[in-house]
Amino acid sequence: MTFLPLVENEVLKLWKRRRFRLVLLILVALIGIVVVGRVEGQRRFGSHKDWRIETQEQVARMRNWDRQGRLLETQRRWVRFEIARLQYHLDRNINPEEATGPLFARGFANFASYLLLHLLAIVFAADIVSSEFAEGTIKLLLTRPIGRGRVLASKLAALLLAVALTVLLGGVVAYAFGGLAWGYRGWDAPVLSGFRLVGETVDSSGVRAIPLWEDAVLVFGLAWFATATVGAIGFMTSVLLRSTAASMGTMFAALILGTILPRVAPTWEFQKYLFVTNLPLPDYYTGSPPPISGMDVPFSVAVLAVWALAALAVSFFVFARRDVLA
Amino acid sequence: MSGPDLSAEHLTKSFGSRVAVADVSFDVAAGEVFGFLGPNGAGKTTTIRMLVGLAHPDRGTVRIRGLDLARHFAQAMAHVGCIVESPDLYPYLTGRENLQHFARMLRGEAAARIPELSRLVALEERLDDRVSTYSLGMRQRLGIAQALLGAPDLLILDEPANGLDPAGIREIRRLVRTLAAERGIAVFVSSHLLSEVEQMCDRVAIIHRGRTLATGPVAELLSRSAKGFRILARPPERAAEVLSARLATPPEPDGPEAFLVSLPVEAIPEAVRALVASGVEVLGVERRASTLEDVFLEVTGGETV
Repeated sequence: MTFLPLVENEVLKLWKRRRFRLVLLILVALIGIVVVGRVEGQRRFGSHKDWRIETQEQVARMRNWDRQGRLLETQRRWVRFEIARLQYHLDRNINPEEATGPLFARGFANFASYLLLHLLAIVFAADIVSSEFAEGTIKLLLTRPIGRGRVLASKLAALLLAVALTVLLGGVVAYAFGGLAWGYRGWDAPVLSGFRLVGETVDSSGVRAIPLWEDAVLVFGLAWFATATVGAIGFMTSVLLRSTAASMGTMFAALILGTILPRVAPTWEFQKYLFVTNLPLPDYYTGSPPPISGMDVPFSVAVLAVWALAALAVSFFVFARRDVLA
Repeated sequence: MSGPDLSAEHLTKSFGSRVAVADVSFDVAAGEVFGFLGPNGAGKTTTIRMLVGLAHPDRGTVRIRGLDLARHFAQAMAHVGCIVESPDLYPYLTGRENLQHFARMLRGEAAARIPELSRLVALEERLDDRVSTYSLGMRQRLGIAQALLGAPDLLILDEPANGLDPAGIREIRRLVRTLAAERGIAVFVSSHLLSEVEQMCDRVAIIHRGRTLATGPVAELLSRSAKGFRILARPPERAAEVLSARLATPPEPDGPEAFLVSLPVEAIPEAVRALVASGVEVLGVERRASTLEDVFLEVTGGETV
């Protein structure tokens, strides 16, 4: 008995369930709306001013905020960071805001890593095991001449495929729509990579220019990794709770907590070990400050990897042993 | 293959403090239809879940063709086709897609059997419709086709008559008998319907409150509890006296002038002569066909199914 037919089964069920197609449709629609929104915004405020003046004004404004000292700790860190970033571009005469299709595609991975991709991953993961319990088909699935571990592994493989496909499709659609709005060329444009926050100050010593496509590959890789981790944890809740609704509810609550917690309790150090806090890592890879100071990309990758592996270990352990009484 | 196709040894399962199945043992041989009879909640489904590895027994062993299910799950299950509780299939897939799905989980040429099996369960014409549009009877039949995909040596069916109309039940009965007789498949059927088990099965185990109360060939169980004959006689007091003298157990009153007696048919003329000789008027002697219901009432101490 080879493994591939089992994965084929799981992919077939995922595809036929409509849920998958609906999610992909939501993804396409959302990206479309974001593109339209940005185009409209640009039209209204136009680029009647020289971008240099605009950027210089922006820097001056932020310096002012910083001097007044009325900013929260997290805001101050972000403001100082932005000042350094914009100054860097000004010094090299690069427009930091100029949009292109490729730039928008890379940006998709950043903005989608806060919530969107993870929500979509949960929609797949929450369902993939618990729906078999809900429909009673688990009784047929687990009475085949195939060990339970292999059955679960085939579901995990299908889930990881779906997650990868979703991230990839997001990138392709963002490029297609972004290109329509701002042109398809620009994969070779230099982007600055390597900003690092060291305590209060920005360390730009490691900053270097790399082609955008190289940067995009890395960013999408990180987005995929974070999304796959959410998938693995959602997979576990699906196994443990055996109910799609309960599993989705739990995971959504966790994700929302992850977006709130760094804002309301930025000084609580421990949260950097929670998986939700580490999810926007593509964004702080490209230069945004991390949710909690002291976090960087290797740290987040390690934390997420530990969470994912632990979730999978629990899933396989429980699934192989538990009685099926559905 | 020597030995039974399916053998359950001392199966025991508790949920918390509630004992669902206690020390249940039985064997099912090739070509035999074995009925597992009991009221709802008696422990039938829990037992079946243990037979197919969905639940793990606290104590006891399941062997399928000699293979210990707990240790050689995949090899053992390669011999089994089953429906547990209800024939749940994927409602958003067509009948054919469902069968293909489960065929991919089996070794060999399972997919090649789909046309033949869909003909066998009379679903050919609806095979490319979604299962969500099927009636309960059609789902039950598709479930049976699914169970037969792997050309099993052992078929385990949980309440196969559920949701079927009388014609459908007859159909299933005929199918099960054919499979056992022509292909030598061992069939394990659970049911709470006495008449169904009586007509379909060679041997029966009666389960009640998690325990098997009686196991044996249907004919033997029926004769064991046979009340045999119903005798109408007047005056009843005198008749009871005469009959008591010739019986191991006292005659059971069954109306004002009627008694049920367990006697072999050869002993009946002699009993009638004795009654007449004692001045009892014999108004009638009827042969009474006993049913599994009688057996059931007897072994459970009067609780109905």
